[in-house]
Amino acid sequence: MAHWYKFVLYYLWIAPHVLLVVVPVLMYTRRLHKNFPVFFVYTLYETLGFLLRFGAFAAGRGLGGGLYRYVFLVTAVGSIALRFGIIHEIFNNIFHDYPRLVGIASASTRWVTGLLLVAAVLTAWYSSGAGADNLMVGVSVLSRSVAIIQAGLLLFLFLFSRMFGLSWRSFVFGIGFGFAIFSSAQLVNWTLELTALTEHSKQLLDLLPTGSYHVSVLVWLGYLLAGEKPVGAATYTAPEMDQWSGELERSQ
Amino acid sequence: MTMTLLFVLIAFVLLLSFAYLAMRRGRDLPNVDQALTAIRSLDIEAFRNLVDPEEEAFLRARLPVAEFKKIKRERARVALAYVRALSRASLQFARLGDAARRSPDPAIAASGKQIADSAIYLRLRALDAGAQLMLSAAFPSLDLHRARSLVQQYDRATYLLIQHNVLTRAHGRAA
Repeated sequence: MAHWYKFVLYYLWIAPHVLLVVVPVLMYTRRLHKNFPVFFVYTLYETLGFLLRFGAFAAGRGLGGGLYRYVFLVTAVGSIALRFGIIHEIFNNIFHDYPRLVGIASASTRWVTGLLLVAAVLTAWYSSGAGADNLMVGVSVLSRSVAIIQAGLLLFLFLFSRMFGLSWRSFVFGIGFGFAIFSSAQLVNWTLELTALTEHSKQLLDLLPTGSYHVSVLVWLGYLLAGEKPVGAATYTAPEMDQWSGELERSQ
Repeated sequence: MTMTLLFVLIAFVLLLSFAYLAMRRGRDLPNVDQALTAIRSLDIEAFRNLVDPEEEAFLRARLPVAEFKKIKRERARVALAYVRALSRASLQFARLGDAARRSPDPAIAASGKQIADSAIYLRLRALDAGAQLMLSAAFPSLDLHRARSLVQQYDRATYLLIQHNVLTRAHGRAA
């Protein structure tokens, strides 16, 4: 393994989790943890999970160690569950003020989830195969299926809210966009893994999941630091509204 | 190999779609000009007549069946164009309401929420009416009159916008 590769590999594994520590701290100081409790727990869980994995890695002297495998599996399952919780949190944040839309949005989300589940099962069936380590192959197939469902749900939420002219608050958009990058990059990674790659290409591809996670953490941090932009004031001025009001009164 | 290529393509399209939506976000601000154009393009009285069940009953009673079906198809197509314009206007109303909802002034924020809620309902009704009119154009013998409630919803949304403008001006003067 080249020296630079080893450095990048470790950097992309450690750096996002170091940066992630800042997210719950900023959320707490800005009292955002009350509005996004699941995302807040997720950031803490991911940090703790990383410490456990890193400890297991150091104790087992490498990623192939048995202890690391089980710690990775347990933390991955918790992480997947929390990510679904975050999508639900985003859904509530967008639609809770619009009771007329909640019903149709819930029903549409259920249908989309059903269709994505079918797509995930078909993909798992198409790409399943025995590996040297059946447990890790199973985890990989499960993670891929979850990435399909989560990326699909996020895309659906983005499009559905656009269809009704609803804008996402900055931080909600940041959370969603961060996860969207991570899930899509995971899909790109797994689909490229299915192709016949050279050893060098495989090594480079291994950097994609951690690299995309790094980008996601930067997106969360960026949107947290940027705060909420005032939208309404700059978009319509009083003379324009007067003209508009006149048009409306005439149309009544 | 073809399937793998397809998966790679889907994954990349997904990634690009998210990037596109993130870039578009800044440009999806409420546009008064577009809303004005949408309102100007609407002749609500003409639309009201097009979806009036009494007028339809009158035509049905006076015209031969084949002639009536032909005219009903044409009326449904024209009404569909109005519904599309209404739908576009409702989207602009919703954006304006959603933006006003974030106002630090509680009265303006409450008014914005009402506008957005009303505009969302208008858009839902427009989507429903659009589907009904398409069915009506395809099968003129079907009796569908849901488009009429769309006019009442449009009146409510525009009334709320006028009220909102009055409120904004009053608060502007007070400030």
